[in-house]
Amino acid sequence: MMKIATLAATLLLTTAAGATTAQAANICFSFQDLETEFWVAGHKAITTTLTEMGHNVLERNANEDVNKQLEQIKDCIAQGVDGVIMIPQDGESANTIIRESQNSDVPIVVFNRPPADTGQGVIVVADNAGIAEDATDFVLQQALEGAADDAKLNAVVIVGDLGDSNAIARKQGFEAAVAKYPDRFNVIEVASEWDAATALANLEAAVTANPQIDVMFTSSDFLFPTIRSVLEPRGMWKKIGEEGHIPLAGLDGDATACQLIKDGFVDATGVQDLYFEAEASVNAIVQAVEAGETDPNEIIFDPGFTLTSANIGEREMDMWGCVLLSEGFLNN
Amino acid sequence: MTAIRTKRSLAARAADVFLSDYFIFYLCIAFIIVLAPFLPVLIAPANAVNIMSNMWPLLIVAIGQTFVLAIGGIDLSQGAVMAVTAVIGAMLITLAVDPVTFMRTPLWGLILTEQGGPLAGVTGGVLLALVMMLLAAVLIGLFNGASVALFDLPPFMVTLVTMMTLSAFALWLTQSGNIANLPDDFTRLGRGDLVSVYFGAKEESQLARRQVYSFVTFPMVIALIMAFLAHIILNRTVFGARVLAIGMNRKAAVISGIPVRRIVIAVFVLSAVCAMIGGLLYSARLEAGRPTLGGGTFLLDVIAASVIGGTSLFGGKAKIIWTFFGVLFYVLMSSALSAMNLSAFQIDMVKGGIILGAALLDVFRTWLKRERLQ
Repeated sequence: MMKIATLAATLLLTTAAGATTAQAANICFSFQDLETEFWVAGHKAITTTLTEMGHNVLERNANEDVNKQLEQIKDCIAQGVDGVIMIPQDGESANTIIRESQNSDVPIVVFNRPPADTGQGVIVVADNAGIAEDATDFVLQQALEGAADDAKLNAVVIVGDLGDSNAIARKQGFEAAVAKYPDRFNVIEVASEWDAATALANLEAAVTANPQIDVMFTSSDFLFPTIRSVLEPRGMWKKIGEEGHIPLAGLDGDATACQLIKDGFVDATGVQDLYFEAEASVNAIVQAVEAGETDPNEIIFDPGFTLTSANIGEREMDMWGCVLLSEGFLNN
Repeated sequence: MTAIRTKRSLAARAADVFLSDYFIFYLCIAFIIVLAPFLPVLIAPANAVNIMSNMWPLLIVAIGQTFVLAIGGIDLSQGAVMAVTAVIGAMLITLAVDPVTFMRTPLWGLILTEQGGPLAGVTGGVLLALVMMLLAAVLIGLFNGASVALFDLPPFMVTLVTMMTLSAFALWLTQSGNIANLPDDFTRLGRGDLVSVYFGAKEESQLARRQVYSFVTFPMVIALIMAFLAHIILNRTVFGARVLAIGMNRKAAVISGIPVRRIVIAVFVLSAVCAMIGGLLYSARLEAGRPTLGGGTFLLDVIAASVIGGTSLFGGKAKIIWTFFGVLFYVLMSSALSAMNLSAFQIDMVKGGIILGAALLDVFRTWLKRERLQ
């Protein structure tokens, strides 16, 4: 909450200094759902910041239905909104919606999940491939440290919905890290489709077929509870340093991952800087509205970083999930 | 005496309106009149255009469902038919696919390659793909219809199984990927304008794009032609009379020599074809073939729109004009709820209440009609 308040205050000061005559804008904020901690925190950061800046926010939840999201944004445009911030359901629908918005002279910013064609709209996105590669690299090294030089290890990667370019980039980041150690890892791919139930079924099947798992990377932190529910009954959910610990890495930087790194069950997570992304999205739409730009096109990269069991002491409060954790998020 | 006669006459007139084919249309007008002062956006040209564009694909699918409801059945597989046929069509005509997403699909290398589908860039390829989609829909409809007509299986069970199987099949075919990069000839079907309009004075040489509204679109033309044909078939032909007769009393229909099995099969084929055409328009407007198309609460929307119009869930009572007004009311209501800034959950709860209200209204109207006849 402190972080969101600081973000809002900073933006308020910036806006007040830069444009004293700025008027309240009507911003449509369309999101595909609020299923994970990342989306919940992102939604809160964006809506709180816009509201505290004095703008009106029209929230639209598409319930994971792309057609509904398109219709809702068209409704927003019909209501005369000045700008749109969108978390799309997938990359393909994002392009269709961006075109719809820009063709109606309404600027649009895409938060976190990029469209298939990144040449349209303002896109605020994390360097998913780079972050995934760093996080995976950390756990691969952990796994190799405890293994014989000629041993081939089983590496599990839980991939997201491959219709989502973030999921593709994360998979590519994992593959890039594995490629650094030729012939050392046998990769077992588990599809999650960004759905906990699907991930559970597929991971159980994978672990049953391959009882020896040496390292694991999940494309999103929200699947850690699922991973735990598969590994714990099999006696494979161990802390760092305990016999049989599987080096585990994820990506997002949520509160659960922070707690699990502190508890020693998870080794690393790639962190998307949610507050930077929210600030960049809000700034971009407000600037476009104030400048009267109807179709700004730009990519704003969030470089992110990797929080590990080794650097958590110094970088803990740089991760949005740890900030939420310190505010008692998991207890609420 | 005069006062009593006037009072009775007013009650009778109210009952006439209540029992009229146009009752839901009157309700739509009343809805707009009541809400417009508080929600002026409801009557804004841009909103009217949105309501229409949201209405056409839903109307086409609801027409198919109306026929099935008319025989006393239900078709739960319409959403899955949309998904499978959309995926089949898109696979054939896509101009390019991302190998990272599609390399794991069973048709990679056979039908799908990095250069797209086998009909990509082929003259008449889109038309051929539409024929293949139609063929797939007909086959699915035949399966549903034959299972119900020949084996006396309950439509609910048959179409539930078809829905589950086809949804999984569509996901398996694409491994949950969306097939984009569809040719313009295809996507134009979903959003192409025939006539655009501008309301207001021409004050500048260049009109702002957001003030130019798509008015007559391809989906509108397709939906209106289909609605007109369906109206003729259901309410002006022997086939339609037989459909309603089966819904009223299937045993009596058999005894009176109606070819019940053939008609039941034809109705399920019609329903699947309508679902396919609706899915085609949704895919075209979303510019991708999606294995998840028609999922979520879509089927609720279709059945709700049909029932709100007045089509009976018990069969024997259906008109396409009722479905038309039912879809209009449903889309109008969704638009109004959205303009009220209600959350998606609240909107679904209100929709549920309205469907229940429509069902109760139908019971009351049926009772009132019976009372009048007596």
